[in-house]
Amino acid sequence: MSDLWRRCLERLESELSTEELHTWLMPLQAREDGEGLQLYAPNPYTLDAVRERYLGRIQTLLGQLGGDHLGVRLEVGSSSPRPAPGKPAAAGRAATPAAAEAPAPAFAHNLDPHYTFETFVEGKSNQLGKAAAMQVAMNPGRAYNPLLLYGGTGLGKTHLMHAAGNLMRERDPGCKVLYLRSEQFVGAMIEALRTKSMDEFKRRFRSVDALLIDDIQFFAGKDTTQEEFFHTFNALFESKQQIILTCDRYPKEVDKLEPRLKSRLGWGLSVAIEPPDFETRAAILLAKAQEKGVAVSEDVAMLLAKRIRSNVRDLEGALNTLAARANFYGRPITTAFAEETLRDLLATHAQAVTVPNIQKTVADYYQVRLQDLLSKRRVRSLARPRQIAMALSKELTEHSLPEIGEAFGGRDHTTVLHACRTIRKLCEADARMRQDWEQLIRILTG
Amino acid sequence: MIPQLPLALRWPRRQRFEHFHPGANAAALAAARMLAETPGAPWIYLHGPAGAGRSHLLLAACQAASAAGRRAQYLPLAAIADRAAAIRGVAGGELLALDDLGAIAGDRAAEHALFDLYNQTRAEGGALLFAADAPPAQLGLELPDLRSRLGACTQFALKPLDDAERREVLRAQAAARGIELDDAVLDWLFARYARDMGALLDLLDRLDQASLAAQRRVTVPFLREWLRGAGP
Repeated sequence: MSDLWRRCLERLESELSTEELHTWLMPLQAREDGEGLQLYAPNPYTLDAVRERYLGRIQTLLGQLGGDHLGVRLEVGSSSPRPAPGKPAAAGRAATPAAAEAPAPAFAHNLDPHYTFETFVEGKSNQLGKAAAMQVAMNPGRAYNPLLLYGGTGLGKTHLMHAAGNLMRERDPGCKVLYLRSEQFVGAMIEALRTKSMDEFKRRFRSVDALLIDDIQFFAGKDTTQEEFFHTFNALFESKQQIILTCDRYPKEVDKLEPRLKSRLGWGLSVAIEPPDFETRAAILLAKAQEKGVAVSEDVAMLLAKRIRSNVRDLEGALNTLAARANFYGRPITTAFAEETLRDLLATHAQAVTVPNIQKTVADYYQVRLQDLLSKRRVRSLARPRQIAMALSKELTEHSLPEIGEAFGGRDHTTVLHACRTIRKLCEADARMRQDWEQLIRILTG
Repeated sequence: MIPQLPLALRWPRRQRFEHFHPGANAAALAAARMLAETPGAPWIYLHGPAGAGRSHLLLAACQAASAAGRRAQYLPLAAIADRAAAIRGVAGGELLALDDLGAIAGDRAAEHALFDLYNQTRAEGGALLFAADAPPAQLGLELPDLRSRLGACTQFALKPLDDAERREVLRAQAAARGIELDDAVLDWLFARYARDMGALLDLLDRLDQASLAAQRRVTVPFLREWLRGAGP
């Protein structure tokens, strides 16, 4: 233990607020030697903050406590290096100088081994995406390049991306697959600019067989990053190295993304990942329960799948919450237990979706006035949105047909029933309609 | 090599697991304990009204994790000015406890920093523990990517102790200090101190010293006299 540092902290404790102390100084690790203190910050942000605000004071205290000859040095790192198993200086840490200075390791894979095609639950909403990702994994650089998976948060895009990478590695163990979240790409680039090592940066990203970048919507507005990514993209594309990207919406709809980059993104295949339908949600729950070793009946899975429509993470959260309580109280997970345990959680999901809420959202979506939507007028520009709003009310709330009819300006329940049937048929026949429908569900339940 | 400073010594003494009176929150207590002590345990999101014990559990988890040799950090977001920088500053720990999460709702930079922190911590095998006054969907977050990630945590709605449980806690805490509080004293305290357990326990500490110094038992007359005179 560094006695010197402890005495320093004791003095600082009386000078600083608890918040300051816990945020910036407690995380430091200290090593003491004949020349003074070596302090290790967990990351560059802490390092900067400590250097700016506290280093002078620490130096003064050190002089008082141990003598004027003592100095204090500050760097990013740890007093006891603790490399995570299987992740030697992974790409994500490249933003820290300590990692950048380390000798180049053998190619470090950072794919999550749990995300495979076997563990991916397929349904109507995602089968195209899965098929495309498999194609790409079987023929990297040749099937579709780039492959772009887009859709709302928590629908399985990252899972498919890792699954493709894992399959590539399984088929060709020498294959170099690099996965990055978009902010890691940004961080690595900023760090390369700062340390004037752009050549190394370029080499690193262009020497892989497949580059996987998650959530590229966060490139929006970052011009230098887009520029560099554009060149990386071109280099990989020309030499037939595979690129897989995800985005939270169709890239053409992302604001502040350069037109030339948008156009490149469209060169390969873009596949939408839709929110899972009821059957898929239930299947996902059962699969996750099995993976976690939680005994969940089909009834319970159906209960949760019916009530939680937003995304897979919310389903997982509900399952975790249920499992923790059942485990603690030693009770089996029955539907009654689930209803009781998740009352609050399910209520938050139900709360957002009310009939007035649906009416307002649909009116906004089709840019008609709410008053007109609820009126008796039958022009097509109003009738279709009105039918959609009715069908959504049936789909997303527990209200009966007569109740819904009443809420739409006192219409008959057969009118509501007719609307539901019409919209269902249209969704099957018309891709545009289906897209609107999915989008509205996403807005209402997201 | 010089071993790391034992930070466990420095966490607040009162907010520890052994001082947490579970009441209706026993399952949350067990889960927080597991998260603090077991790498790989499910991440937790606690929500409930002020005084329900959110900060207590977060600090206790940090203390327990530190005691187990893990690197833990507590970040009270409502008390921090530059939240985005603070969130970016905590990256790299093994247990990160973020309190008053509602404070970042609508702060785009801070929400984004937390989104990054979540992803990075997951990739590095660390653990996150959140507390807020509302469930994830009702925090008013702008970044859907963050909201959905928080939704994947194991969630517990914390319930504040009821009056009987508060009396029990206070009585036990007093007994630990060698003070016997009878019902009259408890009634008197509860009537004057808005049921804030933190304030009551602080008072108890000072009362303990006062009664020692005065060599007197704690009774209502003594309390009254002490509060009027040299009191807190």
